Amino acid sequence: MLNLQPYADPQYFIILLLALVPLAIGLYFGKRLAWYEVLVSLVFIFLMFDGKKYHEGIALITYMIWQWLLVWSYTLYRKKYNQTWVFYVTTILAILPLVLIKIAPVVHWLQVTTLLGFMGISYLTFRSVGMVMEIRDGSIQEFNPWLFLRFMLFMPTISSGPIDRYRRFVTDVEKAPTRDKYLDMLGKSVKYLFIGFLYKFIVSHVLGTVLMPNVERMAIISAHAQGGWSWWIVAYMYIYGLNLFFDFAGYSMFAVATGYVMGIEVPMNFNLPFLSKNLKEFWNRWHMTLSFWFRDFVFMRLVFLMMKKKWFKSRVTTSNVAYIINMLIMGFWHGLKWYYIAYGLFHGIGLVINDVWLRYKKKHHVPHNKFTNALAIVITFNVVMVSFLLFSGLLDKIWFQR
Amino acid sequence: MLKKRGLWWIFGPVVLAFVMVTALFLAPFSLSYLSNKDIQKASVSFSKNVFKGESVKMAAFNNSKTNYVPFFGSSELLRLDSMHPSVLAAKYRRNYQPFLLGQAGTESLSHYLGMQEMTPALHKKQAVFIISQQWFTKRDSKWAFPQFYSPLQTVNWLRNIKTITPTDRFIAKRLLEQKQITDNSFYTRLVTKIKNNEPLSETDQSLLILRNRMLLREDQLFSNFTVSNNWDRQVEPALKSLPKTDNVSLLEREAMKVAKQQTGNNEFGIQNSFFRMRVKPSLKKLENSQSHFDYRQSDEYSDFQAVLQEFAKENTDVLFIIQPVNRKWSKYTGLSTKRYYQSVDKVKKQLKSQGFNQIADFSHDGGQKYFMQDTIHMGWRGWIAADTEIKPFFARGYQEPTYHINDNYLSKKWQNLVPIDNNLKNFK
Repeated sequence: MLNLQPYADPQYFIILLLALVPLAIGLYFGKRLAWYEVLVSLVFIFLMFDGKKYHEGIALITYMIWQWLLVWSYTLYRKKYNQTWVFYVTTILAILPLVLIKIAPVVHWLQVTTLLGFMGISYLTFRSVGMVMEIRDGSIQEFNPWLFLRFMLFMPTISSGPIDRYRRFVTDVEKAPTRDKYLDMLGKSVKYLFIGFLYKFIVSHVLGTVLMPNVERMAIISAHAQGGWSWWIVAYMYIYGLNLFFDFAGYSMFAVATGYVMGIEVPMNFNLPFLSKNLKEFWNRWHMTLSFWFRDFVFMRLVFLMMKKKWFKSRVTTSNVAYIINMLIMGFWHGLKWYYIAYGLFHGIGLVINDVWLRYKKKHHVPHNKFTNALAIVITFNVVMVSFLLFSGLLDKIWFQR
Repeated sequence: MLKKRGLWWIFGPVVLAFVMVTALFLAPFSLSYLSNKDIQKASVSFSKNVFKGESVKMAAFNNSKTNYVPFFGSSELLRLDSMHPSVLAAKYRRNYQPFLLGQAGTESLSHYLGMQEMTPALHKKQAVFIISQQWFTKRDSKWAFPQFYSPLQTVNWLRNIKTITPTDRFIAKRLLEQKQITDNSFYTRLVTKIKNNEPLSETDQSLLILRNRMLLREDQLFSNFTVSNNWDRQVEPALKSLPKTDNVSLLEREAMKVAKQQTGNNEFGIQNSFFRMRVKPSLKKLENSQSHFDYRQSDEYSDFQAVLQEFAKENTDVLFIIQPVNRKWSKYTGLSTKRYYQSVDKVKKQLKSQGFNQIADFSHDGGQKYFMQDTIHMGWRGWIAADTEIKPFFARGYQEPTYHINDNYLSKKWQNLVPIDNNLKNFK
């Protein structure tokens, strides 16, 4: 049976782009063929989850019914009342499937994984939880079941993001772009597709498929021979970190490019993150839709909550605590492994130190020139690479799985 | 001004790129050029791309300057010490030069598929095949298959099938157990046809020709991409250290000298560096760790049969070399010598009963000093012993063999047969 995994091989792009031609012609002439868009999306989603992956398809349908009912009933509720506990319960229920999926491998609930698991569950959860929060804020007031489904199941971004926002998505999807605008989007789409090819199929192939397995093997063998450490680990760190970027950035480029062809301005996910001068800037350039989501729906809300309840006197303490909790949650989201959590903690503490330094810099007029800029970039890059080494789980293999 | 670009400005370059790539892939002429030096490097490169591909291998076997001959094997081939067959052949300008095919993890199924890309090099030619008993494990014997698999092998195999034999059906069944095949609906469909004894249609054949051309072009363009320096870094220095004349006792003396220098940090006669890196960290854990190892029952026996059938089909004149295990090491790890010898007997029965009579069996020599370079791989004096068989084999040249293939060796019954007492004798 034909099964198509998104952006996996050249054939996929040919099939996808051919399928999108009628939609693109419509948009070129200023008309959005909504029914065709939905049809193509459904066919491609079906082809992602058919054959041996049918159980993922069933899980996706179940999951969508669950979220659909939750968001719908919460909208209805919110029109009349606004009790905090209802909001919390709704949020928890929206996150529940994802939480179960993350716990399942740790406690060996195999059935839970087959019953609820499908590729992209975390990205769909971000979207629906974001909606619940905006409904609570009152910035989303109406529940449109049709637009809800189109937003949640937007095919180009279904499995790995970027994470769009409902209100932004709806303004795009309800109209067709002007011809000039659409031509501009098509031009960008071609550019992103080809950058994506370079990133994912060439650079990431060399780093991840050709180099990484060998370096990983050498790192493990020589670390075992030398009591837990070897310079191969450093080589692995850079290769893994760079590959993480090129693989994911390439993937995101494909998703954005496909979105553009469909006349939707899917937000960008990466903006040259390795040129960041500090850790805060890094998170504004790395996996941007995720970190902005965390900023808006975790960090900001934590800060408001702590200020309202006056838990801490100083604003600095408040934001520091929020940084650490925010990053810890992100660590947990990656999976219940010590190294993901350590990765989150690393970045939480990193952001705190970063803030201390920025305040110190402001006060003491630290010299600022081209050289310090370059130094800042080098330091940030290496700090990030160390965090990715943690994230990779190699240290876990070397130290704890002998 | 740039704002007013039309569709052609956007898609023109893309269309042009597609046209150019298609032209490149379907052009009816070869795009690879390999110098003699490139081939020499490739012959000891252990590059996976070379193993998986066709163009470099065939360039080597068609080389007019050097008579490259296939040496099939696995990890022992990587032991490029000064007595290695590649070094000896180069040093004494023998009438052959090994082209090494295999590395850690290549077993019969990988070899069988690899052969499909070089049938002209096997047809009425000579070859050496080194067997490791470690291939014949009860479970997980195909762990390395994905690393050595390429679609080009499957395409060539399918194209080579004229009438469907039991071996073809067996291989089809084996391939359908591999994710690399089942992930691709095109290959799955065709391989399933072979399994069900249905001949491929005309359309299938034409599609295969098209695929073959594209994959071959990809192979020509990329398979020599990963350059290896083994020849310059390992073979060249070894050539300098060897005695001037091709003489066994001089070689033995040199081997003793080199091996003595390189061993000594352990009681097993294992090369120092190997011991330090691979054994010492878990030495305690390895004690008695192989007491349950058993090579007597394995589906590998039938994969091996497919290889034999291919040799028979091409009338290849083959010398089989059976590799020993390091006796001191196997004692330490508790490997049962009795069961090990029985598995060797089983392989030999399979060979001899079908007319493959050229067998250099070193399975009993694992206790000889400096015969093994490490735990399970021949080195120094082991290579010299092998050379006493390899050298005359090529010196006498090709001799037409008579093989009689018995398809019962493809059966579960043979795979699971315990090679004791009369079991072997009675199997027909």
